[in-house]
Amino acid sequence: MCPPEHFGVLYEINSWMHTEVRVDLDLARSQWDGLCAGLTASGATIELLDPVEGLPDLVFTANAGVVNGTQYVPARFRHPERQREVSHDVAWFEARGYTVDELPGVASHEGAGDALPFAGVLLSGYRSRSDVATHAALSAITGVAVRSVELVEPRLYHLDLTFCPLDDRRAIIAPLGWDRYGCRVVEALVPEPLVLDDDDALAFCANSVVVGSTIHMPSCPSAVGRQLEAWGFDVVVHDVGEFLKAGGACRCLTLALDVELGVTG
Amino acid sequence: MSASEVVEVEGHIIDSLILAKLMDVILASGADYEVVSVDIGRTNTDVSMARLQVTAADEDALASLLVELQAHGANRVMSVDAELLAADREGVLPAGFYSTTNLPTAVRLGGRWVEVGNPEMDCGLVITPDGRARTVPMHRVRVGDMVVVGNDGIRVTPPSRPRGATPFEFMSSEVSSEKPKGLLVADVAARLRLHRTSGAKVLAVCGPAVVHTGAAPAIARMVREGWIDVLFAGNGFAAHDIESNVMGTSLGVSVRAGTAAEGGHANHLRVINEVRRYGSIAAAVEAGYIDGGVMYECVTKGVPFVLAGSIRDDGPLPDVYPDVVEAADAMRHLLPGVGVALMLASTLHAIATGNCLPSGVETYCVDINQAVVTKLADRGSHQALGIVTDVGLFVEGLCQELCVKQ
Repeated sequence: MCPPEHFGVLYEINSWMHTEVRVDLDLARSQWDGLCAGLTASGATIELLDPVEGLPDLVFTANAGVVNGTQYVPARFRHPERQREVSHDVAWFEARGYTVDELPGVASHEGAGDALPFAGVLLSGYRSRSDVATHAALSAITGVAVRSVELVEPRLYHLDLTFCPLDDRRAIIAPLGWDRYGCRVVEALVPEPLVLDDDDALAFCANSVVVGSTIHMPSCPSAVGRQLEAWGFDVVVHDVGEFLKAGGACRCLTLALDVELGVTG
Repeated sequence: MSASEVVEVEGHIIDSLILAKLMDVILASGADYEVVSVDIGRTNTDVSMARLQVTAADEDALASLLVELQAHGANRVMSVDAELLAADREGVLPAGFYSTTNLPTAVRLGGRWVEVGNPEMDCGLVITPDGRARTVPMHRVRVGDMVVVGNDGIRVTPPSRPRGATPFEFMSSEVSSEKPKGLLVADVAARLRLHRTSGAKVLAVCGPAVVHTGAAPAIARMVREGWIDVLFAGNGFAAHDIESNVMGTSLGVSVRAGTAAEGGHANHLRVINEVRRYGSIAAAVEAGYIDGGVMYECVTKGVPFVLAGSIRDDGPLPDVYPDVVEAADAMRHLLPGVGVALMLASTLHAIATGNCLPSGVETYCVDINQAVVTKLADRGSHQALGIVTDVGLFVEGLCQELCVKQ
């Protein structure tokens, strides 16, 4: 995670961002601290990336790249505003001994924000931020099969706003974000989906972090909560309202490092 | 003019339904695709690869479709321009010249595909100074002509049977010795009507057996009533057609009684000799020497004909081209606009004509001998549909369908 020292809405690269909306940095910091504490309490270890002035979205570490064991595939951002983040991300992973494998070519891919492992494959979003052309390369680099899903709802511009893996059989899904082919791909992939309605999808319910059997969510409608509890999960809701102003929530603020792609169970 | 391009897509395109989506996107845009190749990964992690040939209504529609396809990962397969070399001798193509087929062909020039205007097999491809692509037979090449060499930058559209029900779908085999002939005749007649409605010309290629079997009056009527627009034949057909009208015999046999006429074996020679005296078939018609038959109708209706010569020819008639290269050029000159070719009981002229025809010309080869149809196909005229039957009966039936039921 990256502390929100320099967070703010300084530009508009998604439909949630409005530069005239002010971010309360103190509130943002306390919301971020709350998420950190909650994740730690449920058993996670947090490692930190130093914030950098002028890179307000560096807090959204989910987009830093794709992690696979000790392998790190850096993101290639679509917007110039975020492209300067990459050198800081790469330096962090290099300093910790990760093998850095770059995607070939110039096509964009926005890291774990657009690529989530499920049941031995990597579900990857494309069109709004990532190019589908990177998917074959990502598969070749990581050795894992990729399922491509077109993201068609501009407000759900990253895959992690539409999909949250819970375990090998279950995931929170937001079909609003996908075209009909994407819906069929996910339908075939996920035996027991928890389907969000459009309002819950747009409240970023899917942008949640799972640590063990605890789910950290930006919001949780009662029907969703009941189903998750019925499946044996504990739900913790975090107010991340300041970050929603930039179009991000719990999951966007984290990058899982304990990922072994292609491994199930 | 429709525009087409091959795109390639790689990845987990089957499981991700990307291939299905690409196909749907192409069809939804009003374009069409043909799968060039699909290489499906053997394991879950292997990627698959597909190539699709995409055909849109025009270059603009194709360009915007390609942008959309690219968003789903399908990229245009990089193509190179065709290589051109100037001919340095009259009538000689540069070594390594691209040898043409009769199939629809396009040449890539300056990054764009240019359709070949006149597909013909066994020719060279010449790019004209205004950027058009034309097939040119070897002997017609001139010094300085820019000729395509090698196989790069050439796209040939393979022959495909049209999908769905066509009037001729029941003819699934290429030769029809075991098909009901009445239905075939009615279907050919329907095709001719259809083509005439669309303004396409009908070419008849006739062998002497058309006259021997008594079918010449039916052909003459079809010419008179506008069902035949171009005629190709040899000295024999024309001579016997005239003989049967002037003398009442074909190769000395009475076309009415079927019996040999006294001294009849020389009848065609006497007729040829007289036409030579007049100087041309048209002059003999003008003078009233020929007053009926296929050649008479061609002259009076202004239907153009080419009579190609051979070593066996008696006479020959003054209209016959004794030089085969000139004859072939004369035939080529009459081909633009031809949509249907009827090859009637003629082996050599049918094959000669087949060599000059683009594969898009609907070709019916009517012969009592199945081998003629096979020969035609073996020499590259794969579009030819064979109808194995007596040409006299077939032509009579066709004439009745067209000229009586009209």
